[in-house]
Amino acid sequence: MNRVALLLRKDVRTLGRMPALAVALVAYPLVIALVVGLVVRYAGERPRVALVDEQGALSGLLVVGEKRFDVEQRLEQATEVNLVRMSQAQAERDLETGRVVAALVVPPDFITKLRGLRESPTLVLRTSRGGLGTRVVEKMRSLVYSTNLELQQSYIDANLAAVRLLLRGGSGTIGRTPFTLLGLQRARAQLRVLEGSPDPAVAARARQLDTFMGQLQGAVGQVGSFLRATANPIELRQEEQGGRTWLLSAQVQGYALALAVAFVTVLLGAGALVAEREENVLGRLARGLVGLGQLVVEKVTFVALVGTAMGLVLAVVFGIIVELGDVSGGEPWLRLPLLLVGLVLAAAAFGAFGVMIGALAREAATASVVAFLVALPLMLLALVPAGSIAAAEWIGALFPFGHAQAALSAALYDEQPAGTLLREGAWLVGLGLAYGAAARVAARRMLG
Amino acid sequence: MPDVLLSARRVARRFGQRVVLEPLDLDLAGGEVVALGGPNGAGKSTLLAILAGALAPSGGEVAAAEPRRVGWMPQQPALYRRLTARENLLLFARLAGLDDPDAAVARALEAVGLVREERRAAELSVGNVQRVNLAIGLLGDPLVLLLDEPTASLDVAHRRRLWQLLDELRAAGGAVLFATHNLEEARRSADRLLVLQEGRVTYTGPPGAYREDVE
Repeated sequence: MNRVALLLRKDVRTLGRMPALAVALVAYPLVIALVVGLVVRYAGERPRVALVDEQGALSGLLVVGEKRFDVEQRLEQATEVNLVRMSQAQAERDLETGRVVAALVVPPDFITKLRGLRESPTLVLRTSRGGLGTRVVEKMRSLVYSTNLELQQSYIDANLAAVRLLLRGGSGTIGRTPFTLLGLQRARAQLRVLEGSPDPAVAARARQLDTFMGQLQGAVGQVGSFLRATANPIELRQEEQGGRTWLLSAQVQGYALALAVAFVTVLLGAGALVAEREENVLGRLARGLVGLGQLVVEKVTFVALVGTAMGLVLAVVFGIIVELGDVSGGEPWLRLPLLLVGLVLAAAAFGAFGVMIGALAREAATASVVAFLVALPLMLLALVPAGSIAAAEWIGALFPFGHAQAALSAALYDEQPAGTLLREGAWLVGLGLAYGAAARVAARRMLG
Repeated sequence: MPDVLLSARRVARRFGQRVVLEPLDLDLAGGEVVALGGPNGAGKSTLLAILAGALAPSGGEVAAAEPRRVGWMPQQPALYRRLTARENLLLFARLAGLDDPDAAVARALEAVGLVREERRAAELSVGNVQRVNLAIGLLGDPLVLLLDEPTASLDVAHRRRLWQLLDELRAAGGAVLFATHNLEEARRSADRLLVLQEGRVTYTGPPGAYREDVE
């Protein structure tokens, strides 16, 4: 067994004898998965908005044609925001203290105006000055838009019912007054009877009238389409794809994997080389037993091994969730070999970075703190959208996180992952070698 | 004249601008036990580490008749605390590429009286950790032993055992250089005393002729 393998076996054995660290390494990916879930939940959470309707102006049904429309219920069941009914005073207090991000005030004549259809009723939205103000305005616009859309559809349906009555005839009401219409179809049938009249003048007039009625019938028949088209010049239809939930999307899994592997490997790498110094064995090893280059290679290999194992645990957890959830759109088990390649490269690159930090810091506590302080902003830099800040993009590119995330996402779900995996893999190998070389140079100082 | 087993020529060491060891010459001959004295910070540990090859000198050269047979016991235990004594010894024996690591480990553990010790180093007393530290230095059947304050944490029985061990090595033609603050120990066990002060050799000669009050 060569010297690197001997030290590697020693490190694995040592890790096994540090139960707290071993448990943390197993628990960490699970915690990351949980945190990702919580973040997703928070991101999808509806903003809390006060609903002020002290006059009960929302109560009462709005009847449009044959449809009964409950505006109050519609608002309460809104998916865009969480509307909480409260008094004006309570709403103002909660808005000030931030317990609600906005207050929706309903005027006393709301339903009356809506029923009258002569003037649009106005809802007043009071927002806080906090960062959620813009978001809640967007959400409320979306709510009002979707409510308007439903009302509009009801009015169109009611209008179309009247048009159908005009075409086919029948009974209806205007307000409470009943009426009966002959309808265009029946009128034409009667005209056709007249067309057979022995009086040629009557027959000719009847034919003219029938032709006109036919044209009118055709035009009225198009009213429905025109109404719908003018009400919604552009229509957006949502179709359920039946794919993964956001939690299980490739992007989230890629980030979760990269995040978990990055933190563990950078911190472990920073501590691995320093641990040899703190055990005071560097001098012994330097006596021709193990070269500094071999030692750096061994530490990076050890960290890569642990990081890969941890990443696989996380990937398997995601895979199990996918299987249990019967979610389509991915092949978690088929992609494990590709993912393994991405994990090994990512963990080795992060590990080399961590070992370099450790070699520079030379002391365990400093190494851990510095590793954390340096790694965190570099990880966040990788999240800066491409093309927004060139400097951030370049600095981020010199840290393995963005490349790891892209490689892992591609390995998991890209239709053709080879190109991305090769490109990002090359970056990771290059960065790993550069950090490893820097660690080797810095490690020389540890012997002094 | 006995063979020189280890020699240092113009060996010096500085850490940055600070001179820790000024250029010095030293020969260790077979059958010789040399004591290295001097106050704290005099450069004793640095000299031993350089002679052992654990620390590169800033200048000068060190030559050993048989480099693989130079044993070193640093002042601070240099071992893995989460491994047992046997596991530590076995690892270093394998890293050193010894022909029969198991036999070498058994001999070293026997020499320091830790054959039955199965606990991890972190669970051992300070004295026993020092014995493991010594045992690692004994791996590979050393011809030259470089010991940095070897008796500091040992009880009387184990000190006696250590000196017996060193006598056996001397009798077998080996050489020992040990750092100590105990002049009595040097007078009793060493053939020669070398005293360092602020990185310079201030005395070299028989231990009995050295007068501490002059220093």
